[in-house]
Amino acid sequence: MNRSVFTDGLKAALPIMAGYIVLGLPCGLLCQQAGMDWLMVLIMCVIFYSGAGQYMIPNMWLAGNPLLSIILSVTLVNTRQMLYGASLSRYCESVSKRLTFLFGATVTDESFGVNLARFENGGWDVKRATVVNLCSQSSWAFACVMGALIGNLVSVPTAIASFAMTSIFICLLCMQKVTVTNLITVGVAVLGVLLCKLTGLSGPAILLGALAGMFAGYIHATITKPDGARRGERS
Amino acid sequence: MSWADFAIITASVALTMLACRVIPVFALKGRTLPANAVRLLNLIPPAAFAALVANDLIVLDSWATGAWPAMIPFISAALVFVVGYKTKSLVWCIVAGVASYALLMLV
Repeated sequence: MNRSVFTDGLKAALPIMAGYIVLGLPCGLLCQQAGMDWLMVLIMCVIFYSGAGQYMIPNMWLAGNPLLSIILSVTLVNTRQMLYGASLSRYCESVSKRLTFLFGATVTDESFGVNLARFENGGWDVKRATVVNLCSQSSWAFACVMGALIGNLVSVPTAIASFAMTSIFICLLCMQKVTVTNLITVGVAVLGVLLCKLTGLSGPAILLGALAGMFAGYIHATITKPDGARRGERS
Repeated sequence: MSWADFAIITASVALTMLACRVIPVFALKGRTLPANAVRLLNLIPPAAFAALVANDLIVLDSWATGAWPAMIPFISAALVFVVGYKTKSLVWCIVAGVASYALLMLV
């Protein structure tokens, strides 16, 4: 690999890497509290690599959720990655399949943002973007494994470690556009979770609440937006 | 968590994650998704994150141990909402959330 490709990618990735160190330590700690050892944490970072997902799995496991509920809820949250892939595909038209696969398979919320801004400004390519992804993934894996190892040495109440994940989801919620459709989606999703819990359906509460919110939001968007207004939507 | 449970969860979510990440990149290559699909996909983040936050905060059993312990997550969450709205920073949100939660537990 050309040296400038690596240094350009590394420079762009540094802010993400610093953030992932801070995010990854409590994630590894939470994984350790859920009974995972450092090797499990490392494997998860390599083949799964999802901040939100890797926080959700130990948290839902500790809360006693069934395996299917964990898998479906994590999958639902991660379907947003399809938007990133759809948006980045236009930059992969003349790129080899192997590099396209590696690039696509290592995109995260943060690296998507950093790479997209650079693609749009010009002078950026998929090789550099892949370096950003891989450097970010390396720092995430390092921090998570360190967190799992530290977790063996120090005692942090599970409630506090879990609240790191809640804080992440609140932040990600704050990053959404404030529109009437989104507010309806959020409101119905919260009500859906509350109703599930009140009726004893705690296991699938996340999935059912989110689906109820999406359904309400979709109905609202379809009723209020004429066909012509859909052309400007993000893809 | 046993290795068997770990393998089932990790293999399942890794496969679905890989599909979500890679299939659109290869399938579209510059083309655009149908408008209805984009509309639905755009609703996933607010719906999913709202449901996740609600699931963490709404713990019906917690009120049995008293009002104050049950209020701690809500107070910390309110603070994180303010920090998140102002900074949009994951790092600052974690710092604010974890620090306030730990302090409130000491009160």
